[in-house]
Amino acid sequence: MNKTIGNNRFFNFKEFGILIAFFMLVAALMIISPNAFAQPRNLINILKQASINGILSCGMMFVIIAGGIDLSAGSTIALSGVAAAYFARLDRTPVLLPILVAVAVGGLVGAVNGAGVAYANLPPFIITLSTMTGVRGLALIVSGGSPIYGLAGSFEKLTNQFLLGVPALAVYFIIIALFSGFILVKTVFGRRVYAIGGSETTARVSGINVKKMKLAVYTICGCMAGIAGLLVASRTVQGSPTAGDGYEMDAIAAVVIGGISMSGGAGKWYGTIIGALLLAVISNGLDILGVSSNYQKIIKGVIIAVAVYLDLRGKAKQE
Amino acid sequence: MMKKVAGMILTSALAVAALTGCTSEPGGNQSSSKTAATEAGQTAGSDTSGETDKTIALFMTHMSNEFTITLSSAVEEEAKLRGYKYNVYDAGQDAAAQSDQIEQAVTLGVDGIIIEPVSVDGIVPAVKYAKEAGVKVVIVNQRISKPEEADCYVGADAATTGEILMKKVMEDIDGKGNIALLLGPMGSDGQVGRSEGFEKVLAEYPEVTVVFQDTAEWQTEPALRITENWLNAGKDIVAVVSQNDGMAVGAAKAIADAQKGGEIKVYGIDATSEGLQAVLDGKLAATVSQGTEDQGRLSADACVDLLEGKSVDAETIVTNVIYTTANAQDALNALK
Repeated sequence: MNKTIGNNRFFNFKEFGILIAFFMLVAALMIISPNAFAQPRNLINILKQASINGILSCGMMFVIIAGGIDLSAGSTIALSGVAAAYFARLDRTPVLLPILVAVAVGGLVGAVNGAGVAYANLPPFIITLSTMTGVRGLALIVSGGSPIYGLAGSFEKLTNQFLLGVPALAVYFIIIALFSGFILVKTVFGRRVYAIGGSETTARVSGINVKKMKLAVYTICGCMAGIAGLLVASRTVQGSPTAGDGYEMDAIAAVVIGGISMSGGAGKWYGTIIGALLLAVISNGLDILGVSSNYQKIIKGVIIAVAVYLDLRGKAKQE
Repeated sequence: MMKKVAGMILTSALAVAALTGCTSEPGGNQSSSKTAATEAGQTAGSDTSGETDKTIALFMTHMSNEFTITLSSAVEEEAKLRGYKYNVYDAGQDAAAQSDQIEQAVTLGVDGIIIEPVSVDGIVPAVKYAKEAGVKVVIVNQRISKPEEADCYVGADAATTGEILMKKVMEDIDGKGNIALLLGPMGSDGQVGRSEGFEKVLAEYPEVTVVFQDTAEWQTEPALRITENWLNAGKDIVAVVSQNDGMAVGAAKAIADAQKGGEIKVYGIDATSEGLQAVLDGKLAATVSQGTEDQGRLSADACVDLLEGKSVDAETIVTNVIYTTANAQDALNALK
């Protein structure tokens, strides 16, 4: 595991099995469906559809590398989306307000998770399970149980436009992915995230404030969920209290498929990005081919199991 | 550092407590006993002598969407109008909790109960228990597996709802072309019933092809994503028919984003305020109500009639209404 901590290269193609799998899948779908799947318009569409889960996965990646998990991310999407929608109802409010509100709401939920893990010593699974339930309830109460709609055009435009020919959603995803990669690989903070996930005791002995780090990591994850919630609200032009249900599972799936170890301390940032893209390709390709989402679930399940198996086998070899 | 963090946690805990504390009125397990019936009874022109000291209890599956809230408000309003006290219990989708709540309420003394069952089988023993205690039992929205155990049933028929909507779609697209269906969670009662209604109509239109159908779990964003994918599949779709308004709104957004606003018609079910607004905005071609308010009102009426010794039909099916730009505004005003 120390190998990973010492490795500060931005890219590392030693373990690119997942990348090969990704390109093989894309190639196969291009052959099966040259007139629909392979169209440039659709490939851009896939990038757009990977974005919300991708952003959520980036946050989840921080938590998982640090040895934790966040089950509340999906509920946080609902609460931050409802909060953003509440402030985006009038045309007069500057669009910055709902953005800040969504990120703040997400960050607050993340901070509660982080504080629970770091200072109350609650297992991450338990504290985030309880915020998952509680935050969903809060979203339902705040919104009165039905979606908040009739939002300002400027708010819808956040996700509705193209920047340099690329959908805005994809641009946000790319920025957040690169930012997350930079933090994890090039900063002391990032190195410490790996360190506390690798071995908490070692990290503590070497002078890292583990509690503070955990608080920060969960808060980052919450902020990312807040951003995802903002984007879902803008994309659907409504703040729905039932939005994001189960999204945390897709985020965890993307991280795991990307080869990030569930026991923490190891994994590459770009693995998560490929994981999120892979999931989006599967959904898109199979939707186009008219395959029911029931089968899609089975396929995703198999891929997750295979990814974890490969990860474990790789580790066994190293030892 | 510790102090700062502790302060932050405390503040957020207080904020949460304050928020939940002041708005828990419609939910809550049994805390929300409404005694307002007496005031309402005096002013309302009801067909009873005014007020009684009898109580009607409503048992809801959950209280977390517009459907359940509209339904329970309608029961409350009608019960008070006819001079009865009213309690509501929220089972939080938990079948065992609902049975416990019913038994507890019966033990504490209630005269009539209205149940929106979480489990169509699991609720039967609790229904029997209530009947044996001499309590009148009305089932609303979803039939239980042994309807004869209860006094009567009031509800919409999911298959009829689906049928009425699909007939409207066929009329609008002249009975030909490719259509796509957005379904509720596979196997849920709403999905099964509404699909049954869809299929019944579609069987009569051989020139209509269902090119895509998939579930979006009643949710807007997944419906948006699936519809985007369908639009890229190169099939010429003339209509997207959704089993609820939330998914329909997502499909309409995907179509608008793809600049195909006028070409593809979108349909929903439920006539929620959002759905009706979308009809008025031209995003949806039509939505069908399943008479949510009527279900609430008629079930309360049935319960009161039973308590007053009047005879009640074993089954009351509320009528569906199709809403288009012509009549959506009135329905929207009524909801607000």
